[in-house]
Amino acid sequence: MRSTRNVVVTESGNGMGHYSDPPLLVLASLANGPKHGHAMIEDIERLCGTRLGPGTLYGAIARLEQQGWIEPLPPEERRRPYRITADGLRFLRAKLTTLHQFAEAGLQRLEPL
Amino acid sequence: MNPVLAHLLIRLYPRPWRERYGAEFEGLLLDGEGGLCNSLREGANVVWSAVCERISPTQGGNMDRDPLSFGAMVRRPSALVPPAMSLTALAIVMGHIAMYGHAREADEGAAAHLWQILMAGQLPVLAFFAIKWLRRAPKQALSVLALQAGAVFASMAPVFYFNL
Repeated sequence: MRSTRNVVVTESGNGMGHYSDPPLLVLASLANGPKHGHAMIEDIERLCGTRLGPGTLYGAIARLEQQGWIEPLPPEERRRPYRITADGLRFLRAKLTTLHQFAEAGLQRLEPL
Repeated sequence: MNPVLAHLLIRLYPRPWRERYGAEFEGLLLDGEGGLCNSLREGANVVWSAVCERISPTQGGNMDRDPLSFGAMVRRPSALVPPAMSLTALAIVMGHIAMYGHAREADEGAAAHLWQILMAGQLPVLAFFAIKWLRRAPKQALSVLALQAGAVFASMAPVFYFNL
């Protein structure tokens, strides 16, 4: 999976506190319904404050599609919506569960401080 | 983003990627927010992503090049090595002619031996290529074999022309 170095951070952000794993962000964005590229960028920005650059977004889309985790829908004029597949949902659920466990463990370590 | 700039930026991506995603990606770039700062930031992001795509192309599914296409076949070692050997042999002959002229020598020198080794050495590779690919993709394999034959004749031409 491609690195996340080329994520465009919003002007309000300071580069800290924004989760930026483009493929995972794309999957999370598509979890509540099909979207085209521009809608995904806006949704991801609302979701976690990270504004993906167009190149980063399509790099993630290309890899996710080739892995069978998302699939294209018929184009609407110039825009092509994508939707998450059953495999993509399984992967997203597993990944988010791992992140959730990690976050819980990390927060527990912070409690005594 | 400016349509001309968007079109030029997309040209930075490899052809298979452009053929699959070019139209919708151009639509996304044209939908982008205006402003010089945004355009510059998005442009830099696209340039960097295109470079990444060229270094590490998306693999699998419909992004893979047809392995039986002429372009894919001609890049195989067994297709490339024989012409490379023929061209090396040709370079040796031309170098020898340039340095010592084209008068026939009584004894075969090192250049002649090298030429013979290169020409004979490529025969097993040629046979391997023909056996492996003629059945699978006859048309493309014949095109590559024609290319290889052309290189063989090119390296033999000065030898027979000058009667070396």
